Amino acid sequence: MSASILRNSPHSEPKSALAGALAVFVHLFFVALLVFGLNWKDHPPEGMTVDIWTELPKPVQEPVKSQLLPKQSVPEPLKPKIEPQQPKPEPPKPVPQKTIVEPPVKKPDIAVKQKPEPVKESPPDLQEQKKKEQERAKEQERIKELEKQKELEKKKEFEKKQELEKQKELEKQKELEKQKELQKQKEKEQAAQRQREQEAKAQREAEAKRAAQQAAARNQITNEISKYKALILAKIRSRIVMPPDLPGNPVVEFNVTLLPGGDILDVRLSRSSGYAAFDSAVERAIFLSKPLPLPPDPALFNEFRNLNITVHYRE
Amino acid sequence: MNTTVTQDMSFLHLISSASLLVQLVMLILVMISLLSWWYIFRKLFVIRYEIKKTDEFEDIFWRGADMNALYQRTINSRYESGSLERIFAAGFSEFNKHPAGSDLEAVMESTRRAMRATYQREMDYLESHLSFLATVGSVSPYIGLLGTVWGIMNSFRSLASITQATIAHVAPGIAEALIATAMGLFAAIPAVVAYNRYASRTDQLATRFESFMEELSNVLQRRAAG
Repeated sequence: MSASILRNSPHSEPKSALAGALAVFVHLFFVALLVFGLNWKDHPPEGMTVDIWTELPKPVQEPVKSQLLPKQSVPEPLKPKIEPQQPKPEPPKPVPQKTIVEPPVKKPDIAVKQKPEPVKESPPDLQEQKKKEQERAKEQERIKELEKQKELEKKKEFEKKQELEKQKELEKQKELEKQKELQKQKEKEQAAQRQREQEAKAQREAEAKRAAQQAAARNQITNEISKYKALILAKIRSRIVMPPDLPGNPVVEFNVTLLPGGDILDVRLSRSSGYAAFDSAVERAIFLSKPLPLPPDPALFNEFRNLNITVHYRE
Repeated sequence: MNTTVTQDMSFLHLISSASLLVQLVMLILVMISLLSWWYIFRKLFVIRYEIKKTDEFEDIFWRGADMNALYQRTINSRYESGSLERIFAAGFSEFNKHPAGSDLEAVMESTRRAMRATYQREMDYLESHLSFLATVGSVSPYIGLLGTVWGIMNSFRSLASITQATIAHVAPGIAEALIATAMGLFAAIPAVVAYNRYASRTDQLATRFESFMEELSNVLQRRAAG
């Protein structure tokens, strides 16, 4: 009984879930190591970036100037705005002075003439006097109203005049502003024209410089090529064992194919001198002077790939 | 490996841009690696537990505890008992089944057989999955290598159509292909280390069990004779 129980008893495996978690953790750790430990390059290392300028870098500076100019022109219109505010308060001042001064001068004249009259006519009937007084009072009232109306009219006229003056002043100011703006625009245009002229000049100069540089470079290249051709010829000449006593000045031409580095790939006789001894002597010399001197600049090698070497018997 | 999705786009890009076979190889390797690490930890815990239990039981047994009490304890707590306890219980129960006065040699023979049977079963349990670790250790580098060779083959084949070939054309392909080898090695190295370590540990345990079996049969024989 007990033995069979033992036999069938399952092995209680400890912490198998923990083992799984640890396994996952180890992988996470490894992945983290891969991801953060190594510098995975997203983009390939940037090679040489060459900017090809059709113009010299001067045009780059000029837009900066043109940007600066409008900035200067911006604060200027602010000044005229401040100026018109000062003249405006001035015109109203004289107007109130005139209106105050004039009416009192006229009023006393009427008042003095009318008031003494009732004093002389007072002895006659009271009723008549009263009537007269009433009439006079009415008349005075009418006169006063007339005067008031006149004053109002005068005030209105003054106001109209003031408004007209203001309008005129405003118009003048506007005209001045317009003129100023026109002047500024003209100045701007002139400045722009000057800039354009400068740019054109700079471009011309740059082109001239470039042309000069290119010419210089071409000269240098041609100089370099001719120099090395002379060197090659000199080296070959130094290796030639000349066959003695050939009549005249025979000329032999060889077509030499070169490899980069100065090695000789192929030598072909393109024009014989007529003397086999001389031809073979020159051919041997060409092979002997094997690393032929080449310019260090590999770009120039194309000039030397196929060389025509002409050797004169006598120099 | 899914964690790479969120952690690094370039790493993900390298994996996702690999060819199908390379991706398949990577997937297999990831599964193998996960499984092998799971077994590594499982075996680690099991063997540790087994060694601890064996130490405890030997300690109790050789201190002169009552064998009947030990047997009862083992039967009662059979889910928490160690291998050595089970071997002891099997031998002791077989020994007790024989009536007193029966042939001593036959009794000892059957006792030893019972213990050996349990021993075999326990060793089988202890050594289970170790062969898997050995397989992972020897095979997964080859699987990774297959992925790498395939990836490099592809990157070189694509190179053939380019007139001006630079290293930049081949480099990403080789890099993504080499990830497969890295994965294979990552799976293999710990598996090999764990296999060797666990194999030696189980060997040690086996020796201990065998010597205990011999000693127990001696003790039982003396008890039957006495």
